[in-house]
Amino acid sequence: MDKLKENQAAYYPGCALLTIDRAYNNSSKLVSKKMGIELVEIPDYNCCGIGEMKSKGAASMYMPLRNMMIAKNKLGSKNLIMACSVCYHEFSRSITRVKENQNELSAVNAIFKEAGEFNEEYIPDGEARHILEFLYNEKGVEEVKKNVVKPLKGLKVAPYYGCLYSRPSMYTFTDKKPKMDNSERPRFMHEFLEALGAETVFYGNEVQCCGGRNVVQDEETSFALCSQTISKAKKAGADVIALICPKCAGALDVNQPKIVEKFGKDSKLPIVYLTQLMALAFGFSKKEAEFSDMISEPLKVLNEKGF
Amino acid sequence: MALEKHDNKNLGGGRPVAEKGEHIVARHLIEDDNIKEEKNLVIDGVDVSGRWNTFIISRVNSDFDRSFFEEIKKTVVGSRINRCWQCGMCTASCTVTPLYRRFNPRAFIYMMQLGNLKELKKYIDVAWRCVGCYKCSQRCPKQVNPAEMMEALALVIKKYFQEEVKTKLKLDEEVKKIYEDMIIGHGRLDLAKLHTSAMQKSGKTKELFGKIERGAILKMLKDGRAFSVLRLGKPHNWSSSKEAIENYLHKLNTIENSEAGV
Ligand code: SF4
Ligand code: SF4
Ligand code: SF4
Ligand code: SF4
Repeated sequence: MDKLKENQAAYYPGCALLTIDRAYNNSSKLVSKKMGIELVEIPDYNCCGIGEMKSKGAASMYMPLRNMMIAKNKLGSKNLIMACSVCYHEFSRSITRVKENQNELSAVNAIFKEAGEFNEEYIPDGEARHILEFLYNEKGVEEVKKNVVKPLKGLKVAPYYGCLYSRPSMYTFTDKKPKMDNSERPRFMHEFLEALGAETVFYGNEVQCCGGRNVVQDEETSFALCSQTISKAKKAGADVIALICPKCAGALDVNQPKIVEKFGKDSKLPIVYLTQLMALAFGFSKKEAEFSDMISEPLKVLNEKGF
Repeated sequence: MALEKHDNKNLGGGRPVAEKGEHIVARHLIEDDNIKEEKNLVIDGVDVSGRWNTFIISRVNSDFDRSFFEEIKKTVVGSRINRCWQCGMCTASCTVTPLYRRFNPRAFIYMMQLGNLKELKKYIDVAWRCVGCYKCSQRCPKQVNPAEMMEALALVIKKYFQEEVKTKLKLDEEVKKIYEDMIIGHGRLDLAKLHTSAMQKSGKTKELFGKIERGAILKMLKDGRAFSVLRLGKPHNWSSSKEAIENYLHKLNTIENSEAGV
């Protein structure tokens, strides 16, 4: 595979974005391209471990780091961009840990050596970047404004960052260069949405949790947390909630019919990805932004508002 | 929004919530007999009934198990256990504590520091509920990383309470197993399979064929996403990675390697 050109960047899709959450994947690529960056998928990726391997020592770090090795070896890129907050967390956690801990680095390299896929050792000199802060820092709000052809006037959006985009800053260095978002009160999504012409609402659950690692095995907890988030956003007047993570979507969008069944209509609100709204404002059709993929039916409100 | 049922019988080893000392926030951490509280008490003409005269008898804990502490310290997730100074910021930040009052990360870390297995055992039924939101780790002033201390706690429980894991934590363990088989075995995650097998394991087979599930499946069949899941496949040469990972796990001689025989 050829090394990257100047306007290209190495991109890690992850399992969710390649399958169920293709809308997030495709819209991320569309808007990045409009903003002047082509996302190039690394070949032969493997799952980041989705946090389920954390208690397995260096094995949990091998999972994301193998992808960093591919990015460097095949695409010549030290850094890797991703749109899934859980992937972003797993990559940041692993990179930070091996940077700070020689034993863990040696243990990971021992696995690399045994697997024998690469000729060199892993050196933690690259970074994981979340697509939101990456576009914000590399291209900026002005670039977003420049590309808007269909402002989202009159659309009230509740930005939902969830947990792992901004937390914990000991791994993601959210408040440090080159990222510079706020780890307790992130604001990049707010700024992007406002640049699109939409209005953001304050509802207090911006960095809440959706049930996280227990979404599958502890629906009771997840449903209660999600119902609170959705109903607060609704009460604050939001037309939609905007997300930046496919796992948040699993909890808030895919599970929404069950949450409504349990908690009633207050927990019913369309869910979209930030990048879908960006694509729409950048002039792509609703079909291209694949709004119909979402279970919570955002198309209805978008049609009503005349977008 | 508390989800925990205040049904004394169902507290699974927890102490019944007695009337006395009810206003103490972490009431469940204190033995009944250690709380002195007079329902009606007047001292020098001043009415100090009920909570105005609550007194907690200090307890003495003399059987520390330091070997246990070292065992946790050796793991990646528990490596910072020595740093915790018990300020309680983690519990105050926790997503789960308001839903399940007996879930108290600070207290769990304390019990692990002391090697107090007897006390830990009482919380097996809630200890697994951490959602990994990292609010605690974000705010911990000592960089203990309490979110990951909860993973260390899970390892401890897995090693020392195998019987309880089999009965009380069966579902959590089984879902973890599904994840691990896919992640290590295939190198990629089949979300559809994960979802259906987890539902089967949790006994929701009926729901799986219910209206909501059917609707979602039909939708994904129609728009083609169901097939993309099937096409996901494995990374090339994953078998060499798989073997290396399995060998590494096999050689780990810390509690990270303990298997619960589910
Ligand atoms: S976090 Fe999810 S989507 Fe991302 S790679 Fe891991 S399993 Fe796949
Ligand atoms: S909100 Fe849920 S999916 Fe999103 S980061 Fe938090 S735990 Fe993960
Ligand atoms: S916040 Fe940190 S130092 Fe304070 S009790 Fe929790 S783990 Fe210990
Ligand atoms: S990571 Fe776990 S222990 Fe920490 S705040 Fe979240 S739920 Fe509580």
